[in-house]
Amino acid sequence: MSILTSLRSTRILKLLPLVSALCILVGVTWLLLLPLDDYSRRTYISENALLPGQVHTYFGGSEQDVFRAYRHEVTTLGKNASADGSGVMAEKIGDIFDAFGLKVGKQKFEYAAAGGVYAGENVYAVLQAPRGDATEALVLCAAWVNTEGELNESGVALVLALARYLKRWSLWSKDIIFLITSDSRAGPQAWVDAYHDLHAPPAVASLPVKSGAIQGVVVVDYPTSRGFESLHIVYDGINGQLPNLDLINTAVRIASGQMNIRTTLQEMWNHDNRYKDRLCTMLRGMVNQALGHASGPHSSFIPYHIDAITLQAYGDGWHDEVTLGRAVESLFRSLNNLLEHFHQSFFFYLLMAERRFVSIGTYLPSAMLIAVNFTIAAIGLWLKSGRLNDKVEGQSTDGKVSEEKRLLKSAGEAPSSTEQLDAVSEERPLLLSMAFVVAIHFLGFIPLYLFNNLNEKNSAGAFYIFTLLNVVLPPVLCAIFTKSFAPTSLHFTLIKCFSLLLLGMFLSALATLNFSLSFLIGVFASPITFISPTPRRKWTIGAAWMTLLQGLTPTTALVGVALYWGEPLSEILKEAAFGWRVWGMWTQVVVWCVWWPAWIIAGVLVAGSWAVEG
Amino acid sequence: MRLLSWPSVTQLLLAPLVIASASEYNDYSENLLLKSLPGNSLLASFRFVSNGTFDSHHSVFPRSLAQILQQSQTKELHLKFTLGRWDAEQWGRQVWDGRTAGGTGVELWAWVDAADDAEADARWTTLNNALSGLFCASLNFIDSTRTIRPVMSFQPAGHHSPEGLERLHLLHGTLPREPVCTENLTPFLKLLPCKGKAGISSLLDGHRLFDAQWQSMSIDVKPVCEEDGKCQLQMEQTKPYAGGDSCFPLSGVTDLPWSLSEMFGRPIRGSCPLAVVPTEEATHVCVNIAEQRSIFVSQGSEERKKSPELRCFILHENIDFDIVLPELSPSTNLLPTTPPVYASRSLTGHGQERGGIQAVLNNPSSNSTVEFVYLESLPWFMKPYLHTLSATISGKDDRNIIQDIYYRPALDRKRGTQLEVRLRVPPGETVLLNYEFDKAVLRYTEYPPDANRGFDIAPAVISILDPASQKSTFSIRTTSLLLSLPTPDFSMPYNVIILTSTVMALAFGSIFNILVRRFVGADEVIGGGLVSKIRGHIMAFAAKRGRAGGDKPKTE
Repeated sequence: MSILTSLRSTRILKLLPLVSALCILVGVTWLLLLPLDDYSRRTYISENALLPGQVHTYFGGSEQDVFRAYRHEVTTLGKNASADGSGVMAEKIGDIFDAFGLKVGKQKFEYAAAGGVYAGENVYAVLQAPRGDATEALVLCAAWVNTEGELNESGVALVLALARYLKRWSLWSKDIIFLITSDSRAGPQAWVDAYHDLHAPPAVASLPVKSGAIQGVVVVDYPTSRGFESLHIVYDGINGQLPNLDLINTAVRIASGQMNIRTTLQEMWNHDNRYKDRLCTMLRGMVNQALGHASGPHSSFIPYHIDAITLQAYGDGWHDEVTLGRAVESLFRSLNNLLEHFHQSFFFYLLMAERRFVSIGTYLPSAMLIAVNFTIAAIGLWLKSGRLNDKVEGQSTDGKVSEEKRLLKSAGEAPSSTEQLDAVSEERPLLLSMAFVVAIHFLGFIPLYLFNNLNEKNSAGAFYIFTLLNVVLPPVLCAIFTKSFAPTSLHFTLIKCFSLLLLGMFLSALATLNFSLSFLIGVFASPITFISPTPRRKWTIGAAWMTLLQGLTPTTALVGVALYWGEPLSEILKEAAFGWRVWGMWTQVVVWCVWWPAWIIAGVLVAGSWAVEG
Repeated sequence: MRLLSWPSVTQLLLAPLVIASASEYNDYSENLLLKSLPGNSLLASFRFVSNGTFDSHHSVFPRSLAQILQQSQTKELHLKFTLGRWDAEQWGRQVWDGRTAGGTGVELWAWVDAADDAEADARWTTLNNALSGLFCASLNFIDSTRTIRPVMSFQPAGHHSPEGLERLHLLHGTLPREPVCTENLTPFLKLLPCKGKAGISSLLDGHRLFDAQWQSMSIDVKPVCEEDGKCQLQMEQTKPYAGGDSCFPLSGVTDLPWSLSEMFGRPIRGSCPLAVVPTEEATHVCVNIAEQRSIFVSQGSEERKKSPELRCFILHENIDFDIVLPELSPSTNLLPTTPPVYASRSLTGHGQERGGIQAVLNNPSSNSTVEFVYLESLPWFMKPYLHTLSATISGKDDRNIIQDIYYRPALDRKRGTQLEVRLRVPPGETVLLNYEFDKAVLRYTEYPPDANRGFDIAPAVISILDPASQKSTFSIRTTSLLLSLPTPDFSMPYNVIILTSTVMALAFGSIFNILVRRFVGADEVIGGGLVSKIRGHIMAFAAKRGRAGGDKPKTE
C-alpha cells in the first residue's frame, strides 16, 4: 500500500522523466565503457577438446604445385564461363572431386526476389571418414564468386587441393564436405536449406548425397593469386546470430599463434588495440549485427545452429596459399577433435579486438536500460493519467509541497487515505487510445509488404515517395483522428503510454535476441520518451520536435546505412528484399512493425499539440 | 607409388550353431576369402565354423558361450559388432547376403525359449548381462527401452521343431553408440580353438584390423538338426587397402600391389591343426580377383582353382603362408556388384522441438520389383507421428508402395518405438520414406556425460523379402543418426540456486519490509522516540517488579 501511495505522489511522478533520461544516459555510457580493460575480457578457449595449434601441419611441398595447377584451371574456367555458366563450373569441379574418389553431388537452385532471379548450381563432395559412422560432418566451403563479386580463384583452388590432401589422412572422425557454391549469397542458403530438407522444390533442388549433423563450417575467400597480408575473420550471421566464440578463438589462435598471420575483425585493418579502435570494432560489429544481413557465405549456416566463419585473405603481403592451407588444415584438425557440438563458449558476445570480448552479462544492461526507459515513462504516464484533475487542482492552489504534506498526513489515517485515492483516480478512456495504437502498428505491415515485394527498378522511386509521405503522415493522421473522434488530451497521454509500453516490451525482448538492433532502435527512438503529450500553444516547440523526429525516422536510418556502405539506396532496398525472401531476415519486421509505428505515434502526438489546443 | 594410408575394411563373423541333442559330433573349419573391391580396396572375410553340443566337455565349440546360451534358454543367437559404414555405391553388395554384418555399434537378436513375455524378458536380460561380461561390451545397457520384438524382419535361421517354435520369443536390441575395439576382439579370438596362434585367425591383429575402413564381427548360433547336433562358429573379416596418388589426379589407373603380410602385418602361421582337413571343396584361403592379375604364394600350399576368378589354397601346419600380388597396369576396372537396394537415411528439419527422418530407398534393378521390410527401432524420446509417414516416388504419393505397417508406440521411459514397414519398390525407382517426430525433454539425470553431442539413433534394418516365401534373403543397414535434443546448460542449476538464494536473501527482506510497513510522520506517533520507548520499558519493568514484590508476602 505504502509503496503504491508514494508512487502516486507527484514528486515521484515528476522524477520519472529524470529517471528515464538517466536510464538512457547510463545505457549509452555503459556501452562506451565496455572497450576499457576493466570491463572487457581476454578471449580464451573454453572447449578443451579443441587443442588449437597443437598439431603439425603438412600441407605444402608438392601440394603447392597441385594447388597452382588447380588455380590455373579455376582461372581459365572463370574467364570462359560467364555468370550464367555455373553449370559448366559444377561439371568441371565435380569431375575433379570425382577423380579424388569422393562422392559428388550437384544442386541447382533458383530464387526470385525484388524482381530479379538468382540462379546457380552448387557442387560439393563428401569425404567419408574412414571407420566413421556418418553421424557428424564438417564443411569446407568456397564461393565461386565472393561477396564483392570477384572470382575466388585461390579460394576454390585451395578447397580442391585440400580435398585431395585431406583425403589421404585416415584420422578423420567426421565426414568432411567440400562445397563450392556458385555465389556467396543464394548458393550457401540453398545448400544448407536442402541439407536439412527445408528447401522449396523444384526451385531449389534436393541434395543427392548427404552426411551427418554439421558441426562446423569454414569458408575460404581468397580472390587473388598474390600473397596476402592478414586474415580477416568474418563471423556475423543472419539476424545477428553469432557462431560460438570458441570457433573464432580457435581460428585466431591458429592463424596468429601457429601460422604467424595477423588476424583482423570487422574490416579494422590497422587495429592498435587501443580504446578508439576497440570501440570502432565493437560498433561496426553492432551495426552488422543490427542489420542482420549475411556478411559472407558462412552466414546462412548460423541460423541452423551450425557454427561458421569466413576466412578472408586481405592485402598484399608475404603469406601465400600454403600458409592459409596449413591454417585451414590445423583448424580442421581442431574441429575433428570435437567430441560434442560447440557449446562451451559464448554465443552472445561483442568482439572489440581479435582477442578481446564482452559477454552478454556485461553488455546486456545497456540495451535493457534503454528499453526500460520507455517502460518507466509508460508507467509514469499511466499513473499520471489517473490523477489529471487532482494534479491540475493541486497546482492551481498553493503548489505541490502543501499537497504532498496533505497526502502524507492523510496516508497516516487509513480510512481517509482510501477516500483520497478514490478522489484522485479517474476513469481512463482506454478503448479509443488502444485501438489507435494497435491500428498504427498494423499500418506497419504496409511498408513491410511494399518494400519486400517491390521490383528492384521501382523500389528507389517508391522509397522517395514513401519518405515524402512519411513527413506528412503524422499531421494527416492526427487531423483525421481529431476530426473523427474529438480526443481529449487524456487520450493523447494514453496513446503515448501504450505506445511506449509496447516499445519498451518489444525492445527488452529483442535485446536478448539481437542486442545491437534493440540498442540502436532504442537510441534512435529515445526522444519519443520526452515528447510532452499535453497540448501547447507554442507552435515553435512543436515544430522543433517535428524536425527532430523527422531526423530520426527509419527512412533516415536507411539512407544512413546506404551512406555507411557507400552504395546506392536501391542496392540496400534490393538487399533487404533479397534477405527477406532468401535468408529469412526479420530486421524489416522490427523496423516497420515496432520502430516505425512508435515513430508515427510520436509524430501524431507532436501534431496533436497543435490540433487539440489550436 | 607408395602406400600412404591404411584405410581398410574388416568384417569379422562368428556363427556357431548349437543343438541340445546329445551327439559327440564335433568339428571345426575355417576359411578366408580375399576379394578385390572397386577403388583399390580389399575385402577379407574370415569364416570360422564350429559344430558341437551343449553337453560335450571337449568340444571345439566354446564352453563359455554354450553355458550362457543354456542358462538363458536361448535357442538362436545373432550378435554383431560393426565399425564404420559399408559404402554400397563403391563396394557393391555385401558378402554372405549381408546377413553377417550388423548396423554401426552392437546389434543383438535372439530367439529365447519362454512361456510368456515376462519370462522372455527376464531371460533376455540374463543373456545380455552374460554376453556383456564375455565380450567386454556394454550389452547390459540393452534394457527394455532398447529392446523391440520385430514381427516381419527376422526369421529363425536354424531348425526348430514346430512346438518349440511356439515358445520362442524374438528379441532385438541395439547399441548404436558402442565403439568396437580390441577389447571385443580378444574375447572373440578366445572363442576360436586355435585362439589366433595358428590358422587364418593368426592374421587377426587388433592394430591392423581396427585401421580398416569398415569391419564387422558377428557371432551366429543356430541349431541344425539334420546334421545331428552341429555347432558352428564363423568369423569373417574384410579389409580393403588404399594407395596414395601421384602428383596429378590420375589415381585408379593401376591396381595397387598388396600382400597378406603387408595388409595384416604378418603372414598366416600355418593351418590350425584343429580344423578339419579340407576336402576338394573346402579350402583355407580363397582369393577372388580379376583373372588377369598374377598371384604369388609362398611354398607349402596347394592351389585349387575353382574358377578363373576364384583361386583357393590349402595350407599346411607350421609353414607360414603369404600371398603377394604385384601391381597391374592398366587397372582391371572392377565394377561393383549391385545390391538389391541402395538405402540412405538422414534427419530433416532443425530446431530442438521437432524433426523428421527421410530414408531414400533406391531399387537399382531394371526389371524386377523389390519387396522389403524397413525396420526402425527408435528411442522413446523420439516420438514419431504415424500419420506423417509417407512414401513418395518422384514427388508423387503412391499408396501401393507401403504394403503393410507394424507399429508399436513408445511408452515414456519404458520402451522404444518399433516401426516395421513393408515396401514394394518398382524397378529403377527411388522411394522417399518420410516421417516426422517430436523431441521429448529429458530429465537432467537422463543425459549422458557428453549431452551436447546428441543421441545416436540405431541404423534401420532393411530385410529384402523373397517374393515366393516372404522370408528375408538379404539384409542391409543404413548408417546411424545423431539426434540433438534440447540440452540444458548443466551449470545452470548451480547458477540458478546461487542467484535465487542471493536474490531472496537481499531483496525479499527489504521489499517485504517496504510493502508491509506503514510509514507515518514522526509527529503522529504517540510517545515516539527511542528515549521514551526505553523509558516506557523501564517503567513497565519497574511496575511489574513492584507489583510482584508487593504480591509476594500476600501469597506466602
